[in-house]
Amino acid sequence: MTNEKREIEIRIKDLGMLFKDSRGGDIAALTGVNLDIYKGEFVSLLGPSGCGKTTLLRLVADLLEPTEGSIHIGDRLPREVRLDQKLGMVFQSPVLFDWRTVKKNVELPLEVMKFEKNERSKIADSMLEMVGLTKFANHYPNQLSGGMQQRVNIARSLAVRPELLLMDEPFSALDEFTKEKLHEDLLRIWKKTNKTVIFVTHNIQEAVFLSDRVCVLSPHPGRLSGIVDIDLQRPREIGIKETARFNELVTKVRNTFDGGSL
Amino acid sequence: MKTINKITSQKWFPMLVWLLAAAVIWELGAAVVDASKRTPENVLPHIWQIVGAAYSSRRVNSGQTAAQLVLASAGKTLSRAAVGFLIGTLSGFVLALIMKISKIVEKTIFPYLMIIQMIPILGMAPIILSITGDINTSRVVIAAILTFYPVATGTLAGFNSVEHEKYDLMYSYAANKFTVYTKVLIPYSIPYFFTGLKIAAPMAITASILVDTLQGDGGLGTLLSQSLKHAMSIYVFWLIVIFAAFVGIFSSKLMEIIEYLVLPHKRIRIFGKEAAVWAADAKGKKVFCGEFMRIRR
Repeated sequence: MTNEKREIEIRIKDLGMLFKDSRGGDIAALTGVNLDIYKGEFVSLLGPSGCGKTTLLRLVADLLEPTEGSIHIGDRLPREVRLDQKLGMVFQSPVLFDWRTVKKNVELPLEVMKFEKNERSKIADSMLEMVGLTKFANHYPNQLSGGMQQRVNIARSLAVRPELLLMDEPFSALDEFTKEKLHEDLLRIWKKTNKTVIFVTHNIQEAVFLSDRVCVLSPHPGRLSGIVDIDLQRPREIGIKETARFNELVTKVRNTFDGGSL
Repeated sequence: MKTINKITSQKWFPMLVWLLAAAVIWELGAAVVDASKRTPENVLPHIWQIVGAAYSSRRVNSGQTAAQLVLASAGKTLSRAAVGFLIGTLSGFVLALIMKISKIVEKTIFPYLMIIQMIPILGMAPIILSITGDINTSRVVIAAILTFYPVATGTLAGFNSVEHEKYDLMYSYAANKFTVYTKVLIPYSIPYFFTGLKIAAPMAITASILVDTLQGDGGLGTLLSQSLKHAMSIYVFWLIVIFAAFVGIFSSKLMEIIEYLVLPHKRIRIFGKEAAVWAADAKGKKVFCGEFMRIRR
């Protein structure tokens, strides 16, 4: 995979984000982030709590506005992409709507975007098939396990055919077995849909297993302390975690991290 | 042993125990009063005497039996309570919506809503009666006022407990404010709204009965005070007390039934808090649905 030939989808330049603390002082959540993300790439933002990885994701999602620098998605600003309804968001909690069936949950963004009823139903069916929940279309979220709820969440985020899939620690509340299963599922779906994915996590193994590149963020102040290319072959299976190369990469990622006074 | 366990684990079992205990204590009291040789029916009649009165064909007043008398008065009271309840429900919901839309309105109105709730109904009722000058209107107004508060606060609490991620999600869909209200806030608040209704329904009935006593114009409250003062039949008094209690409980249960019909996802509770949920798939085959998730509330 030679990066030179690939089209850059997201350009992040000199990005900084300051928050005001209670005394009116500035807290640097992020400083001087420069990052290019290629079309169709799977990129992880990895780091401990407080390193600004979620802030970075929220800036790309236009849930926050940067105080310094810029983000361009293609030649547009995040706001324009959002208003064009081209963003897929997956949060840590499934954020499902209790009163809607699984299928109706997947249809929600399509309702917001004024899709025809038949079209909505067709898209929702195909998304549920992709995440393996066709049988549960008419169940309610509180009848599903945590892993299944997160699958519905992913199906819903893909229903709008986003240009960008932004995932904020989507699996961190799940048990290890469910997590591994969903990792494989996510890679399969990613390969099938060719989306650009930005995946926030604090789990090193998870980041290495899933990603093309791992962006390691360090705290105080939040910054990008290094990018590790993950050259493991694809498609990846769980077994790859046993290989020496995998462990080398995990070590490399760990060494890239600059904890300081963590 | 197994059957005993099965019975004691039933949902209705504690209620049955309570009912039986209440009946036993009541009867003990009645027996003591009876033994004291006073006129027992004035203080605490036996349960069978009350039940007997309900089925008795003896005309107690203007050619009506006790049961007919109670039911006729109940119609007057309950219909006014129902109208007031509907008005209170509607205005409570609308005010909650306005308070959610405008923070200024919430800050200005919400702290003072409590005051309405704190004025004793006994003090408020004569004032309302003198303003409206009509007992029927007063019943409606008082019932509406009492319904209004729990519905408004309940619904507003529902609006305010929507998780932040839901807003973020709708924001990422570039949804407008109207869509956020119709797709998220209003459906989310419905269970909270029903909690308000369950509290308000018996209150509206109690208030309506209370307003009756202000003016001798029919209704359960009027009959209640008349039956105490006049010797029409003391059992009428007890009939009303028990009837009113049951109607109050029933009104709250009725709201629960309506909630159950309106909110299909709440019905899952009926299957109980089992470790796993099984359901039928399209072909009627049993399908494992995963571990049962704890349901909010």
